[in-house]
Amino acid sequence: MFGEETGTASEVIANISITLGHGEVVSIVGPSGCGKSTLLNLLCGLLPRTAGEVLWYGHASTGMPKRVGYMLQKDLLLPWRTTLKNVTLGLEIHNMSSRERTEKAHQLLDTVGLKGFHDYYPSALSGGMRQRVALARTLANEPEVLLLDEPFGSLDFQTKLVLENDMARLVRSQKRSLLLITHDVEEAVSLSDRVIVLTHRPARIRAIHEIDIDIDRTDMMAARESPNFTDYIRTIWSELEVERQT
Amino acid sequence: MSNEDHHIAGAAVDVPPDATLAAPGVRGWVRRFRALRGHALVLTTQIAVLVVLLVSWEIATANSKLNAFLFGSPSAIWGFLVQMWKDGSLITDTRITALETLLGFLAGNVLGTLIGLTLWYSRFVSRVVQPFVVAIGSIPIIALAPICIIWFGTGLSSKVAMATLSVVVVALITAYKGAMSVDVDQINLMRTLGASKRHIFRKLIVPASLGDIFAGLKLTAGFALIGAIIGEFMSSSAGLGHAIFKAGSLYIIPKVFAALVVTIALALCLTYVVGKIEKLLLPWRPDL
Repeated sequence: MFGEETGTASEVIANISITLGHGEVVSIVGPSGCGKSTLLNLLCGLLPRTAGEVLWYGHASTGMPKRVGYMLQKDLLLPWRTTLKNVTLGLEIHNMSSRERTEKAHQLLDTVGLKGFHDYYPSALSGGMRQRVALARTLANEPEVLLLDEPFGSLDFQTKLVLENDMARLVRSQKRSLLLITHDVEEAVSLSDRVIVLTHRPARIRAIHEIDIDIDRTDMMAARESPNFTDYIRTIWSELEVERQT
Repeated sequence: MSNEDHHIAGAAVDVPPDATLAAPGVRGWVRRFRALRGHALVLTTQIAVLVVLLVSWEIATANSKLNAFLFGSPSAIWGFLVQMWKDGSLITDTRITALETLLGFLAGNVLGTLIGLTLWYSRFVSRVVQPFVVAIGSIPIIALAPICIIWFGTGLSSKVAMATLSVVVVALITAYKGAMSVDVDQINLMRTLGASKRHIFRKLIVPASLGDIFAGLKLTAGFALIGAIIGEFMSSSAGLGHAIFKAGSLYIIPKVFAALVVTIALALCLTYVVGKIEKLLLPWRPDL
């Protein structure tokens, strides 16, 4: 077991206990406004908890856990920094030498498919490219756990698929754990080992689905074409639909 | 295999929105030409408006001695400008006022910006300070002029003090506003990257506030000049304010206007320089 948390805050999140195993990809879906983002912010210590606890590697954590990467729908790139300098931001904070961090950032930009764009300012990049830079910045700190809050929410479908593929490839090949918050059920099923469905506020767990798709888990198209895929989607949709009506 | 396919797709999808930044092709030149033409049109219209105003002014005052005395005339103003240039007072007065303005502008902005930015550090201190800032900001600057003269004498330093005072509160408020308007998500992101409060201040708050700070600089360039002129009005032996005051007391209206023209030119110069520095220091910003 890699980590466990139980968040309880009046009104927003009720009794929830979630475990994210090492190298696992887990998605959380739920009706909008159910407290998904709150949950994520509690996990990485950005919000103080009123009750419950967060365990990292079995140890109770207070404040900001280390080795966590955090990414939102907004890319939050600094407009006055070039692509390269945006990627090195976390490395500067950790006092890596200038030569080392530049080298590392170049490598990361290559892996996210942005070779040759290191001198561009964010304003000159498309939405998809900006989110790639944000991913490179997140990966630069070598996080063991990635906490992502609708990271592809603002992208068009095609760009989103490509980025999901790249994300799956990077996370799975490097054995990182990923907790993804999304409202996109297809994204959740195609990307994850497990999908957790939340109820309305105060959020409770409505269902947990182990996703058993027997193909290469870094290919989003193949996942969508597998026979079980539609069953998962239909089940989760109906659970969300019930939540919407109550 | 599939990954490679998607990478190709990715390259096709992710085209930078502004093609001129990637490759200045023919379309880039066409756009630049159009922008230039638009610029020229605006400039021509501005000059035309100015010429029409000056000519009607000249005509309206040409046939009446009284009107010419009360309102001056462009030709008379020009005459005084030439005279002031020849007797050297134009250069000395401008230089003195420019120096007072510049020193006050720098001192006020450095002081105000430093305080405004540091207030970001402590919500408590900023809340304590707020009513005091508002109170000081509401003091009419002209009321402080006699005190400045008493404290700093009739020379350069009293005018610099006046210019500083007219700048400092505005600079403080714009810098503070800039620091406080940084996106909370952005701060949270820095925290998840392991940034300390000092890191966040240096790498996020200060650069993010630069836009607001420069807006403040452009605004306060004029304020500093007003402060210096008011100081010269109260008590001085040189400077553009002194020239305006003296000419006004002697009812030489065109000379008042002549000195005013120089004052306006000085203000424009200062704002222009600030704008140039802004472009140099904030190259990532799109053209304003």
